[in-house]
Amino acid sequence: MSVDEILLRSRYTPLKNVLSYDIFDTGLNGWMTLMPNFTEYPDFDVPKTLVCKDQWPPVMLSSATFRYPGTHGAMSGTYSLKLSTRPVAAPYTEKPAEGCLGHAIKRMSFYRPGSRFLQIECWFSYTAEQDVVDGGERPQPGLHESSIRNFGMGFDIQVNGKRSHVGLRYLNAVDGKMVRKWQYELSSDDITDKDWAFGLEGDWCKKGVDPWWFGRRFPNGDHDGFKDLPDGHQQLIYNETDCKLNWQYMRLKVDTQLREYVDFQCQDKIWDMRGIKSDLTDAYGRIDNLINPLFWVETDTNRRVFLYIDSVVVSQE
Amino acid sequence: MKNFNDSHLEVKKFFSGTFETHPYEVGWANEAIFFVMVEKIKDDPTFTAQVQLSQDGVHWASDGSNPVSLKGLGLHVIKVQPNFGNYLRLAVDIKGGEMFLNLHISCKG
Repeated sequence: MSVDEILLRSRYTPLKNVLSYDIFDTGLNGWMTLMPNFTEYPDFDVPKTLVCKDQWPPVMLSSATFRYPGTHGAMSGTYSLKLSTRPVAAPYTEKPAEGCLGHAIKRMSFYRPGSRFLQIECWFSYTAEQDVVDGGERPQPGLHESSIRNFGMGFDIQVNGKRSHVGLRYLNAVDGKMVRKWQYELSSDDITDKDWAFGLEGDWCKKGVDPWWFGRRFPNGDHDGFKDLPDGHQQLIYNETDCKLNWQYMRLKVDTQLREYVDFQCQDKIWDMRGIKSDLTDAYGRIDNLINPLFWVETDTNRRVFLYIDSVVVSQE
Repeated sequence: MKNFNDSHLEVKKFFSGTFETHPYEVGWANEAIFFVMVEKIKDDPTFTAQVQLSQDGVHWASDGSNPVSLKGLGLHVIKVQPNFGNYLRLAVDIKGGEMFLNLHISCKG
């Protein structure tokens, strides 16, 4: 058994068929930045939209190098996948500012008849940029944990004629106030496609699709596209200073036949999610059998924030 | 086999005046090239850029190369001189008009 196989079985709990096992110390492995569609006249222009989607920064291979300690490295070697934001944020209840989100996506597809369960699991860490010490009277003004609004992972899936987004996000802070709870992707029943676009006219969007930038947000952290995971408060490791990373584990399993969540795990805590349905949207053209795993991170202030992925496993059975 | 990756830094947006590209980590690479595709112009702009390095992605200094100036529609190439460490960016100044840019960084190593 190779070292890679030993690490796969000890660090991860994959389903029977491993679709991808990506260790970012070896390269980007097909993970890339999510960008808009370059389909329009006259020069591969972007369709008209309410949310600017071409300002999400590029994903990159990061050595996690900081001002004082130098290189943190990854859990597996030197490099991890880094998602970052630009140093711009709008208030929580407004539509996302240009560049306030970072996304990573890999594009795959269903390949074995009868595969029912689909799972993504990863080792991750997150931090805010150690740019300037904040003003004010608060303790530790050089600790920027509350600058991270949320991060998460999930799938964009289209199978059996329906598309669905499933995923979990860690809502870390809302307008500077720490929240620290998990929410799952599911759009509210009583809203329209126009509500989904912040109540504005002029966008093409469907309720339940792309909840990272669509869906109204409310001052208490509620969101038209996410629901609180019961008993979902969790204190993750944000270790003393912005330049200390601790690698943490999370796993999401979904049922692609029943179109339900199955369970979610972060660190050593597991949530049973059976019975929670996922959004179902009419199929889009040309993408049946699509499996797109995704990560994202969003800043809460005018400061860059980062999500690091050491490695990720996508599996089915 | 070597790794290669190309990433966008800016796409389909008009620029004028000064700006810096997003801090980009290239510690794994041996070579780096900025590709500057000028897709549209307004008036008669000149693009001047200085390659900058950083230890921490926050504080920046010139890499010691001469600034590069370019004009006109089409693709322009800025090759980064060797020994660039980890964090790279371009500090850009566009004078005399506006440029609609598709700005990428290509790395190999």
